[in-house]
Amino acid sequence: MSDQKQNLPQLYRFCFLMLGDSRKAQEVFNTTLREAAMRAAQGELPKESFWLFREARWRCLEASKMDLQPESLEIDEHAVAPQAASQIKQLDPAQLAIWISAAPDPQRTALALFYLNEFDYLEILDIAELKLSTLSRYLAQGRRQLQAWLDAKHSGAPKI
Amino acid sequence: MRTLRLLRRRRALLNCAPISQNHLADRSMRAAVAREDGSDEFVNQQNFDRAVAEIVGLVPIPPESAEWFSEKEAVRAPRWTWKKIVLNPAVLAISIALLVIAGVFAFHLLDRLNDFPGSATARKLLTVAGSTRSVTLDPVTAEAGTLSDLFFMKHGLEHYDVPDEFADFQTIGCRVFDDDESQRIAQIWIAEKRMQFFLFPAERDAKTGAVLAFPGWRYVHQEGWVGAVAEHNGVCFMAVLRGREKDLAPYLSRLKK
Repeated sequence: MSDQKQNLPQLYRFCFLMLGDSRKAQEVFNTTLREAAMRAAQGELPKESFWLFREARWRCLEASKMDLQPESLEIDEHAVAPQAASQIKQLDPAQLAIWISAAPDPQRTALALFYLNEFDYLEILDIAELKLSTLSRYLAQGRRQLQAWLDAKHSGAPKI
Repeated sequence: MRTLRLLRRRRALLNCAPISQNHLADRSMRAAVAREDGSDEFVNQQNFDRAVAEIVGLVPIPPESAEWFSEKEAVRAPRWTWKKIVLNPAVLAISIALLVIAGVFAFHLLDRLNDFPGSATARKLLTVAGSTRSVTLDPVTAEAGTLSDLFFMKHGLEHYDVPDEFADFQTIGCRVFDDDESQRIAQIWIAEKRMQFFLFPAERDAKTGAVLAFPGWRYVHQEGWVGAVAEHNGVCFMAVLRGREKDLAPYLSRLKK
């Protein structure tokens, strides 16, 4: 296990992006770390890399199962625009987290892990158990959908 | 077909291109990024990703969760301490096994160090001493030193002499017998402390036939019996009693005097 990679603030942010709710994210984060501390006390910490993120991911998915599920709708997609960066800068972290957490899994996991800027693509493939082509599709689609949402947000009326 | 597949893979890699340079994981990713670097589409994508990552970096950590960071030690892999290493069952088992092997080795080494020419015969005779009853010997009441003449005249055994210092011990019996190697052995039973004396031919060099002499007294042990052996004129004399070296030592120090 690499301690540098098991970055705890990033683990919390991951939970927040996965759940879009600070209270739930804290709950999952605390439960994951409590479990890890217990296993450490018993000398049973897993040796695999990023097991904390894997553990937290499953807990987040479990926690969000009980929530109201978003209807599966066709979401608009726009090509990434040159002014996207300035549009994004006007976002609040909570708004972004809510947007990411509304994505279906495993796209949600892919976006959360990617935008943490903590892992390289091989590590993301490992944690999210995805193939390169799938991860690529989810990220590209995510960008286009987020761009469409940003465009809609800035033009005032949401388009579905 | 192959080109199409390569292009598709490059596109897939570009979609996963890292936000910061330090996450350029492998050569294929570096190559894909280098090839596309500067294109409008890729620059837009990178700016987009960087902006999103910056927002993610702004996600505040609640104080309740931040408490964990100071306790990071709690989720670190347990450190190996000397105590833990020693108490590890595998290490413990290996250590015990090594100690036993070392013990056996040391025992054999010490045994070898105490070996001298004739020690094997001496040990066998200690077993004989342990199993002999005085009634099986011919009763002889005399001073041990005087039996040399008896052995010479009755059995033709030359130099089967009891050392002077043991010569004044009173005997209660003696006998002469052949051991399993057809060596002539003289056995004398002494009244004091149920001590026994043995006289037997010294070991000889197999090639030259020369006596393998050794200086002074040597101890041998066997099943609670102890013997002190000395060689003189090609014959070994062994004083035997049931006990330990310290029980025989006073007799040998008397010899030195």
